[in-house]
Amino acid sequence: MVEAFAVASGKGGTGKTTSTLALGMALSERYDVTVIDADTGMANLLFHTGLDDADVTLHDLLVEGCDASVDDAVYDRFGMSVVPCGTSLEAFEAADPARLREVVAELAADTDVLLLDSPAALGSKSAVLPVVLADRVVVVLQPTVPSLSDGLKVQEYARSYGTETAGVLFNRVRDDEDTERIAEQAARYFGGTTLASVPESDAVRAARRAGKPLLAHAPTDPAADAFHEAASNLDVRDGDAAGVADRFKSAVLPDRV
Amino acid sequence: MSPDSTLGVPEGDLLHSRVASDAGETLAAALDTELTGYAVFEPQGSLLGGGDDATVVTFEAGVPVLAYDATTDCGGPDALDALDAAGPYRVELFELAAADLQVVHRDETHRVPPARPADRLSTDPELAERTRAAAPDHRRADERSSVEAFLADADRIEELKREARREAQSRAEEWGLTGQLEE
Ligand SMILES: Nc1ncnc2c1ncn2[C@@H]1O[C@H](COP(=O)(O)OP(=O)(O)OP(=O)(O)O)[C@@H](O)[C@H]1O
Ligand SMILES: [Mg+2]
Repeated sequence: MVEAFAVASGKGGTGKTTSTLALGMALSERYDVTVIDADTGMANLLFHTGLDDADVTLHDLLVEGCDASVDDAVYDRFGMSVVPCGTSLEAFEAADPARLREVVAELAADTDVLLLDSPAALGSKSAVLPVVLADRVVVVLQPTVPSLSDGLKVQEYARSYGTETAGVLFNRVRDDEDTERIAEQAARYFGGTTLASVPESDAVRAARRAGKPLLAHAPTDPAADAFHEAASNLDVRDGDAAGVADRFKSAVLPDRV
Repeated sequence: MSPDSTLGVPEGDLLHSRVASDAGETLAAALDTELTGYAVFEPQGSLLGGGDDATVVTFEAGVPVLAYDATTDCGGPDALDALDAAGPYRVELFELAAADLQVVHRDETHRVPPARPADRLSTDPELAERTRAAAPDHRRADERSSVEAFLADADRIEELKREARREAQSRAEEWGLTGQLEE
């Protein structure tokens, strides 16, 4: 089985990368999980996983005529298969985003859950590809108007490509914020379920500084608990791997951005 | 540039006047120095075009309180939209005594949630978080009530969704992704 989720928000800094890795680790207790840094223009998943000097990254795989195999860019870290992306602008410019579908297709053949850490913006083809390619989207929200409105926007973009919302995750929630009420109201407009409310927590920043996912660095922090709850509220669907791989392959994408 | 007549923000002491491409820098400077006063943003386009658009943001101990258009007096979060993509700006930062702003800050129609200017104008998402953290409790309530008002307006949200769909469709054409669109 395999299901591919894009972890998206439409807005910067909501916690997509943090959530991708935390959900990934929590889900890896039950599933085979692969996380991909699909934020190819502003990659930073590598910094959260201690892969700062990974030899081969997704960037290499996206360059035409590159001889690295997909496996070369897959690193076993924290119980997951992690596919980091490089940070060089040059490599980004040489990369052909449309090749992402082949890479995803190949990775899909071999895993249960694929999580695509997605870019903040929706302003370019490479930025929308994760929501185009994914089966469903997990929308990361903060309880603020700009975040909610950008989250609605990314949801509608995803829907336009047939990618429904699996659930919404509220992040960086403060004590005095009545997210339950907000979540209830927001549920009228968002698809899927409310996965969890993750509190604002210093442990999240500390984990990032330590180059580890939150669940590895502070497994008992309240924010980590919330991510466990989110993972258990996410109903992962059975997709047949060959079917998914085919779908990715048949996604006819033009070559250049 | 005077902060405006009708709202009654008194003229403050000019701290600096410069051209900035990122309004977030000014907001960060105000936050870091816990400025009580105001900033006047004039989009450079309007300087060249001879217009006199200017948006004023007031601060209490570094945290934004009001935002309004100095010519029309229209205020609140919408006043920030005028600045959104309009940089570079000429920015003037003024300091005032807290007592001078107190009366003006009672105005509720021009008030913005504390982190809204940073959310809209800064390229650094951490600035919004830092501002939220610095805001006193009663100001965080502004954020809550604006979220609730936003979510209560079903028509506005439906329109926002329709607009996003239209945009997604036309972008798909631009990017050659129409084949991937759902009917
Ligand atoms: N629950 C939280 N509590 C405290 N800090 C958080 C929380 N979630 C995320 N952060 C911090 O917010 C910043 C942004 O998080 P992250 O990189 O995960 O967001 P992102 O959505 O992937 O950002 P970008 O849009 O730049 O890709 C980081 O410094 C992270 O440590
Ligand atoms: Mg990220």
